[in-house]
Amino acid sequence: MAVVTLGSGGAGTSQAGPDRAARPGECLERARNGELGALSDVVRELNPLLWHVARAEGLTSEESADVVQTTWLELLRRLHEIQSPRALTAWLVTATRRGAWRTRELSRRQAPDGAERLERAPDPGPGPGEELLSEERDRALWRHFHRLPERCRALLRIVAQADRPDYSVVAEALGMPIGSIGPTRGRCLAKLRAMLLDDPGWSTP
Amino acid sequence: MTDPADLPLDQQDLAILDRLAAIHTMLDPPPADLDERVTFAIALDDLDAEVARLREQQTVGTGARGAERTRTITFDGESRTVMITIVDRQDGMVRIDGWLAPSAPLRVDLRLPEPEPHRTVTADAAGRFAFDRVPHGIVQFLVQPPEGSAMPRLVTPAFTL
Repeated sequence: MAVVTLGSGGAGTSQAGPDRAARPGECLERARNGELGALSDVVRELNPLLWHVARAEGLTSEESADVVQTTWLELLRRLHEIQSPRALTAWLVTATRRGAWRTRELSRRQAPDGAERLERAPDPGPGPGEELLSEERDRALWRHFHRLPERCRALLRIVAQADRPDYSVVAEALGMPIGSIGPTRGRCLAKLRAMLLDDPGWSTP
Repeated sequence: MTDPADLPLDQQDLAILDRLAAIHTMLDPPPADLDERVTFAIALDDLDAEVARLREQQTVGTGARGAERTRTITFDGESRTVMITIVDRQDGMVRIDGWLAPSAPLRVDLRLPEPEPHRTVTADAAGRFAFDRVPHGIVQFLVQPPEGSAMPRLVTPAFTL
């Protein structure tokens, strides 16, 4: 089976080649020089990832959108401190997560009991929505995914949105570093993978 | 034997992550206008700004059958709080009444999407300001610091009227 190694840390060494590393890098540089429009490509690329970071922390869709936007606004003041696209991703993920905690605390204080808390039950994800998936493979994946502990679901949901070279950067920013040399599978993905390989619904093409 | 968790990612792992991303994107997509909101909000001419976070948002009334619909939004910055009330007008536009706390007669800019020009008012001594006949759409507030102050201006997130 072919083994795919992802970026081994340090800008410019990622397997995705210089293109992907250079483009956001160039956008960053232009933005630092006052051309903020240059950031819009980076915004489009990273928004889904950041939004899922906030969702995985238990925020509603709208709250997540607000936290993501506020994070980008706060980035502006810090742009000069951020030297590489990997550092940018790490900073944004960390800041979004903190923003999400703050928002969650605030809503908790405003609605101390009852319905609100139910609505904010752990894992705000779509939940079992198996009937909406047309492929048997996807249904199998979704079933096993929901058998994972909540913490694993949150991690995998987020890293799945990350561009592959950012996999390790994102996991690390989430406080779950995977591998010191190259990114390794990690416990959560290993668990899901083992369940799936035992399920003919996934392994039979 | 090596723990499977310590092995590098292979094609099978990548296939799992790809499908997981696709399923989440399908079942729980970000709001359609998220990119637009962020792009609009950060298209500022000066990087130095204090960000006021959305604290609270409330809507009263339905706007149906002539009933007035009022939306109140509070943004918290470190130096100041901006509270605004948005009321629908009969002509399809909105009126915005705002209040700065602590109060100060500061310049307040309302950013609208191009080609609409920015609108500018100055709050009164009690911190009150108003914008009338504002079209629906995406907007953002900028509150300028007191004259001679070394503080940055205050910016709110962009939101839709």
